[in-house]
Amino acid sequence: MLAKMRQKAKDLLSSGVVSTVIGYGEGSGNRVRALFIRKPDDADKLILDERCVQNLAVYLTKREVRALGRPAVVARVPVMRTIQQLMFEKQVAEGEVAVIGISPDSQVLDFPDLKSMAEYVSAIPFELSADEKAAVEKLEKMTAGERWNFWLDVLSGCSKCYACRQSCPLCYCERCTVECNQPQWVSVPSHGLGNLEWHIMRAMHLAGRCVNCGDCFRACPLEIPLNLLTQKIITDIADKFGGADEYALNAFKPDDKEDFIR
Amino acid sequence: MSRIGVFICHCGENINGTVDCAKVAEAASRVPGVSHSVDYKYMCSDPGQSMIKEAIKEKKLTGVVVGACSPRMHEPTFRRACAEAGLNPYLCEMANLREHCSWVHEKSEATTRKAVDLIKSMIEKVKLNQPLQPIKVPVTRAALVLGGGIAGIQASLDIANAGHQVIMVEREPSIGGHMSQLSETFPTLDCSQCILTPRMVEVAQHPNITLHTYSELESLEGFIGNFKAKIRNKARCVDEKLCTGCGMCAQKCPTKKISSEFNAGLGMRSAIYVPFPQAVPNKPVIDKDHCTFFQKGKCKVCEKVCPTKAIRYDQEDRIIDVEVGAVVLATGFDVLGTDFFPEYGYGRYKDVINGLQFERLASASGPTLGVIKRPSDGKVPETVVFVACAGSRDPAKGIEYCSKICCMYTAKHAMLYKHKVHEGSAYVFYMDIRAGGKMYDEFVRRAIEEDDVKYVRGRVSRIYEEDGKLVVKGADTLLGHEPLEIRADLVVLATAGVASSGAEELAQKLHVSYDSHHFFAEAHPKLRPVETNTAGIFLAGACQSPRDIPETVSQASGAASKVAGLFSQEELTREPLVAVVNRTAPPLYSTCTGCGLCMPACPYQAIEMEEIRTRDGTVVKVAAKVNPGLCQGCGTCVALCRVKAIDLQGYTNEQIYAELMAL
Repeated sequence: MLAKMRQKAKDLLSSGVVSTVIGYGEGSGNRVRALFIRKPDDADKLILDERCVQNLAVYLTKREVRALGRPAVVARVPVMRTIQQLMFEKQVAEGEVAVIGISPDSQVLDFPDLKSMAEYVSAIPFELSADEKAAVEKLEKMTAGERWNFWLDVLSGCSKCYACRQSCPLCYCERCTVECNQPQWVSVPSHGLGNLEWHIMRAMHLAGRCVNCGDCFRACPLEIPLNLLTQKIITDIADKFGGADEYALNAFKPDDKEDFIR
Repeated sequence: MSRIGVFICHCGENINGTVDCAKVAEAASRVPGVSHSVDYKYMCSDPGQSMIKEAIKEKKLTGVVVGACSPRMHEPTFRRACAEAGLNPYLCEMANLREHCSWVHEKSEATTRKAVDLIKSMIEKVKLNQPLQPIKVPVTRAALVLGGGIAGIQASLDIANAGHQVIMVEREPSIGGHMSQLSETFPTLDCSQCILTPRMVEVAQHPNITLHTYSELESLEGFIGNFKAKIRNKARCVDEKLCTGCGMCAQKCPTKKISSEFNAGLGMRSAIYVPFPQAVPNKPVIDKDHCTFFQKGKCKVCEKVCPTKAIRYDQEDRIIDVEVGAVVLATGFDVLGTDFFPEYGYGRYKDVINGLQFERLASASGPTLGVIKRPSDGKVPETVVFVACAGSRDPAKGIEYCSKICCMYTAKHAMLYKHKVHEGSAYVFYMDIRAGGKMYDEFVRRAIEEDDVKYVRGRVSRIYEEDGKLVVKGADTLLGHEPLEIRADLVVLATAGVASSGAEELAQKLHVSYDSHHFFAEAHPKLRPVETNTAGIFLAGACQSPRDIPETVSQASGAASKVAGLFSQEELTREPLVAVVNRTAPPLYSTCTGCGLCMPACPYQAIEMEEIRTRDGTVVKVAAKVNPGLCQGCGTCVALCRVKAIDLQGYTNEQIYAELMAL
């Protein structure tokens, strides 16, 4: 399957269908880094193993990457879900991106267009893993006070490096609200309150959009379980809004449950 | 540097009673940027307004803060005063020192301190206010009237006679509503149909009225002056152009045992039918649920007998798009059929009927041709018991409100019975007699004194059948709670008047508010009784609460005059407090990411996507754009936008932040 992926990348580049293939390559110290292949011959540098989990869709909305021409991206299921969400949010249009799909059992998938990719990925149930569910349940079992202290404690170390934001493929806004200083709603220093404000805002901005790829957690130098917040929101949205195809925050239905408003 | 003028109103003793107004004015004068600060007994008075105007001219003020009552009361007053003095009216703001401070707190130091804080907060906001220009929008001079009862008829005729187009939508096959079902009307006892049908004909013939019967509103979009409505014309299965209304089809239809809605279940009709002889339009509809052809695929008798070949079994519902500037809601009410009191045996005993059914029994066009016969065996009843408040004014078992019309129609029913059956006896069980209205109390007195109707003040506890008679057990509370037992042949329950079925869905479709009983809510119970909270949508008749004919007609005329007033202008002026998507320098052009998630969030469909182009026409960005004509300034998009690319004019992010930071 590695050979097949490399061959596909080669074909896409040599036929001129894409000008860049975004995939995974060996980095320093047994780490994996994102690799931008521009020449067919370089395609053999691509790798694919269990270390290759970074959400490469993060590059699709970057101005610099766009300037390189049409890209192809190596996409496991979370990446495909991200592309689907980016399409929903009008950030990626049909024809702008080619996908080298990787199935959950590591088979290379061929998609003629993004629509068929979206159909494929929609058929795979979107749910949390057993471990993730357990973590959310543990959080739900806490009293309000315990939960408050838990988050204060967990977030106290945050230095607001914003690596979580940079790694998130859905944080594509060109000017983030935290950087707006007229007015400065979210305070800049990394103290308890400022940290809470930032993380609540980040989670709310991802409500109904997050694909649970886990890159924010992996990017965090302090290993703060940031994705626990979004996982809780994913659970709530599935419970309260029945996992609708629409964006949970802008679709109003008269029969929406209101039992969480107290 | 700002030059803000602060004007503190005493509102007589309303504010000054608990707040030290002089101290507030003094404290405000020390805020940087304030160049004038005074207090006065009544700022809204003529001298008070003159103080503001003079200060604007003399001190060259760049903004005005009036500390007084709620902006809902006097904001227009003060903004107009500012405009007269040459200051943009949107540079004037009010701090609510009355409802938000003096009325809700005791007289104390802290109350004055809070007033100072409210003023300071508003001063900081006004410093950031921008001069705004009112928005002009065109008006479509056509009205949509929903409901073809007397309310809708009156409103339509008044609007049409004022020279405007009216589109009337009625869900039943004929207009006329409940009034067409009534026998005689109180307090004059003139025949209901005789006074109604000329109006119905007038509607049908009026050149300015387009009638859509057997139709329902599918959707309504837009805003005052510019609504877009979709109307569903349900398939009648009859070609209205060919049909002459001869009635042959209904006569020959083999399915004749269908309970007639018009006769409130007391008569029968055929599957293809005209609800009543004076129906407008006089064109039949096929009731698909009961038609043999639609149920079993065989029959087509009506097609065979129709002399003009007007039957169309394959007719489909049609959706019609119309553009209107105003909507009148006149969807009426329903009479509760199923009783709230099972112990009265409603539905079990054929001779326990409701008020609307009695109307049909007493009506010359009814199933008994106006002879009062009881439904079970057709016998003329010798004793009739009328029970008022059967469900109304009963928070425990029924509804808590008074249905308003029952006292009067019950007196009328008893009277009609006595006029038709001279030797019969009529009893009325009542709680109170509510007969406020011109000639109303005299009418009830006439029933009691001249027509010998026996009024018993007390509730009925139980009704049961015994030897072909209905035994009514009650108590006479004016005779020491004496138990009373009347053996009656017919019992008429004055059941509650309730909101029309489907009222809740309709209200949601139109974005108008409604109460817990699903009656539509007026904008203000006293001062704006025919308006809803949605501009351009007006109320007429019993869809607001149960009411009688005179009141319904006056309200319908009131709603019509509101519509005519709206249509008297070519353009509407709207407040410029609308959302705006920002524009920034290249290469960003706007902080908007163009995600479009705000579009479905907007309750007014005011957001569209716009391509930002360079001078040579290249698209450099796709961003959201708010249509200022549609935007109502609710701020939902502002709250939803992650980048804060949308801001609300008059309430910008910066202004709100400055207000908060001043505290």
